[in-house]
Amino acid sequence: MVASKPVSVFETYDRFLSGKKTREDTWDYVTVPNNAALIKNKYNLEFGRKIIPEDKDEMDRLFQAGVEMLVTTGFFNPDLGRVMYVTEDEVFEGIKKAPKKLRLGRGKDEVVCERRRGNAPEKPIIQGGPTGAPISEDIFVTLMQGYAQEAVVDTLVSGVMSTVDGHAPTANTPWEIKATLAEIRAVREGMVRAERPGMAI
Amino acid sequence: MHECSQLNEMKMDMTGLNMLAGWAVNGDTILMEQMPIFGGYCGGVEETAICDVATTLASFVMFGSHIHLDGPIHIRWGITTARETLQISSHVGAALDRNTDLLLSNQYYPTAGPCTEMCLLETAAQAIADTASGRELISGSAASKGVARDKSTPMEARIMGEAAIATAGMNTSVVNEILDRLIGSYEAEFHHPPKGKRFQDCYDLKTITPSNEYLGVYENTTHILKELGLEMKYR
Repeated sequence: MVASKPVSVFETYDRFLSGKKTREDTWDYVTVPNNAALIKNKYNLEFGRKIIPEDKDEMDRLFQAGVEMLVTTGFFNPDLGRVMYVTEDEVFEGIKKAPKKLRLGRGKDEVVCERRRGNAPEKPIIQGGPTGAPISEDIFVTLMQGYAQEAVVDTLVSGVMSTVDGHAPTANTPWEIKATLAEIRAVREGMVRAERPGMAI
Repeated sequence: MHECSQLNEMKMDMTGLNMLAGWAVNGDTILMEQMPIFGGYCGGVEETAICDVATTLASFVMFGSHIHLDGPIHIRWGITTARETLQISSHVGAALDRNTDLLLSNQYYPTAGPCTEMCLLETAAQAIADTASGRELISGSAASKGVARDKSTPMEARIMGEAAIATAGMNTSVVNEILDRLIGSYEAEFHHPPKGKRFQDCYDLKTITPSNEYLGVYENTTHILKELGLEMKYR
C-alpha cells in the first residue's frame, strides 16, 4: 500500500511500543541469521573474489535483498523487547525524503557533501580524526590541531578523551557528560589553532 | 553533525531513540552509525552485506538520519581493513549508490599502529575501496583497531585522503586488481601486526609535525602504492 507519509523517529517509537514481543537471544541467534540466509539464497548472492562489484545485476539483487531483509525482519528494541516494522513503500518514501546534499561547516571552511555516482572523479569528503579511539587528555587539543592542519582533511571526527580532570569518563555517570563536552571544546580549540575555525565536526 | 549508533544487529535502544528525538526537533544534521560484524549474528560475507544494506536503509527510513556511517568489522581481527570486510562495505556501497541517492560514509579501523607501512597500506586500501564504490564521506582513522591509547595520528588521515583523491575516477576493474594485490601485501600479517608508535612518539608536539622517521615511512608507502598502480597526485 502507498505510504501515507515518511516514518518519523516518534512513529518508530510508537510502533516499537505496540510491536511483537520477542526474546533478544531469539532475535540474535534465530531471526537475524535465518532471515539473512534465506534472503541470500532467494537472491542468489555469491560475491566471488572481487572487492568492488562489477556486475550491475548483482548490485541490484543485493539492494533488493536488503530492502526485503528490513521489511520482513523489522527492527528490535532490546529495552522494550519488541519488534517494529515498516512497509516497502515506507522504505522508498524514507529514501526519497533523505537529503542529497549537506553543507558541513561554515565560512571558508564549509564543504558540501553531495551525491557521487559510482567512482566519480570528485573525491569524497575527507573527515580526519581518531574516530572514537582513546586519546590522553593532555594531548587532545594538539592532536586535533594536527588533523585540522592536514591539507586533505575537510572535516573532523573526535576521539574519546581517556580522562577528564583525571577521572575516567565511565558510561552513565556525570564524568561521561563532562568528558564529552570537554572533547567538543578541545576539537574546536584545535580547529582555531589550525586557523580553520569553521570546520564541521 | 550529531552521531548516534544502532546496536548489532538490526537493533535500536531507547537511549539512541531519545537522542534522535531531540535532534530531530532541533533540526540538527544527524549521522547514524552501524558496524555490522562479519562472522557474527549475520553470518558470512553475503549475509552480512544484506544486513548492512538493511541497517543503512533503516538509518534514513526509521531514524531520520541524513547520512549513514558504515564500518563492517571482522569478528576475528576487529578491523575494517580485512579482505572480507572491504568486500562487504564495497558491495553495500555500490548497491546503494546504484539504487538510491543516499549519502554514505565509512570509518577506518586498521590493525597496525601509526608510523608503520602496514598501517598506511591498510588505510589506503579502504580509502581506495570506499572511493571506488561511490561513498560520499570517509572518516578516519583509528589505527591499532581504535583501542590503544594515543595510537592515532594525522598522517593516517593524510594517506586516507590522498589515496581517495588518487582513486576517484579510476576504472573499477583496474581498482579491483590494485586492491587484490594491496590487500595481499598485508593480510598475512594480521596475526602479528606492527604495534607502531603513539602520537607523542612520532610527532614533535611543539611544532605539531611528524618525525622524519614517519615522513620516510609515508614516502616509502607512496612508492609501494605507485608500484601497485596507484599514482598519488601532486607529488
